[in-house]
Amino acid sequence: MQFQDNIPIYVQIEKYLYRQIALGQLKPGEKVPSVRQLAVELTVNVNTVQRALNQMNNEGILYVKRGLGSFVTEDVELISQKRQELVEEALSEFLKSTAQLGLTAKQTLTALKKYIEEEK
Amino acid sequence: MSDLLEIKDLTYRKNLRVILDNVNLNIESGKIIALLGENGAGKTTLMRIITGIAKHYKGSVAVAGKEKEAERKSALSMTDSLKGFSDSVTIGWVRDFYNKIYSDFDKEQFEELLKFMKLNYDMKLGQISRGMREKLVIALTLSRKVKLYLLDEPFSGIDPMSRKRIINSILLWKDEDSTLIISDHFVNEISSILDEVIIVKDKTIASHISADEIREQGKSIEQYYEDFYQDEVSE
Repeated sequence: MQFQDNIPIYVQIEKYLYRQIALGQLKPGEKVPSVRQLAVELTVNVNTVQRALNQMNNEGILYVKRGLGSFVTEDVELISQKRQELVEEALSEFLKSTAQLGLTAKQTLTALKKYIEEEK
Repeated sequence: MSDLLEIKDLTYRKNLRVILDNVNLNIESGKIIALLGENGAGKTTLMRIITGIAKHYKGSVAVAGKEKEAERKSALSMTDSLKGFSDSVTIGWVRDFYNKIYSDFDKEQFEELLKFMKLNYDMKLGQISRGMREKLVIALTLSRKVKLYLLDEPFSGIDPMSRKRIINSILLWKDEDSTLIISDHFVNEISSILDEVIIVKDKTIASHISADEIREQGKSIEQYYEDFYQDEVSE
């Protein structure tokens, strides 16, 4: 995975894991790879991975089993809530970029509808 | 608890020329840190002073609380260019040499690292490529069990695949509580693994900052580093 160098990497690792959880690539109750494994997989510092996991533990999306590592929450409600947040974030990014092209939200919606229909 | 590395009011002259002027630096354990600066800024000199190779400086340097040069030397591990070895010696021979010289050399770990780097004991120094040689240097350096590792420009002039392998070896084999300082004049290739950045400029430490702090300002480490030299151009 490529990181953007002007955003704290722990934030990007959180997003990466949230996405995996939201898409079900990491299932409720499943063990998250170890800190070192993630560090090597993503080519980042162990401390950075730890910081991301700590944050996610605090939010309750992950939980720690002593000596076993971090696991994905079994709270399906919380996961779908997180997923909703990701969707909203993507939409907000999308609206920002069309706004930069001079489109209002309404115009964007019209353009989007037209685009989807033509794509069919 | 005291810091792993403490440098106080360090000034170093060579042939009447000031190389480092009033350097103060504190480094904690368990970090990966880049030491950045232009060629000739004094990065290597600073490393050589920390190691105890460069002597006759003013001020104090302590590694894990040890100030005496000989004690410091055994508390840290710095990359060696292997220039002192003849081209005809094998990697196995170099391994035996390190094992004899350093009581903290871990032969098993070296073997693992060697395998990871796709090198073997029978290879002769004169026959291996630049990238392979650098991988060997890193394997030797990381096989000593110490708290502080100094890597002096380990990526200069090597191919991207060797670089990637070296970076992974650091992530896999560095103990959680040991600190690694990597000097370079180019930061992009290592920016994702850094905890902190130190910039050497105008004979002293111009900045010592955490990577997160830089990125929280919306800047990349490379941009932050370049900005230090940009000022100079516009002055």
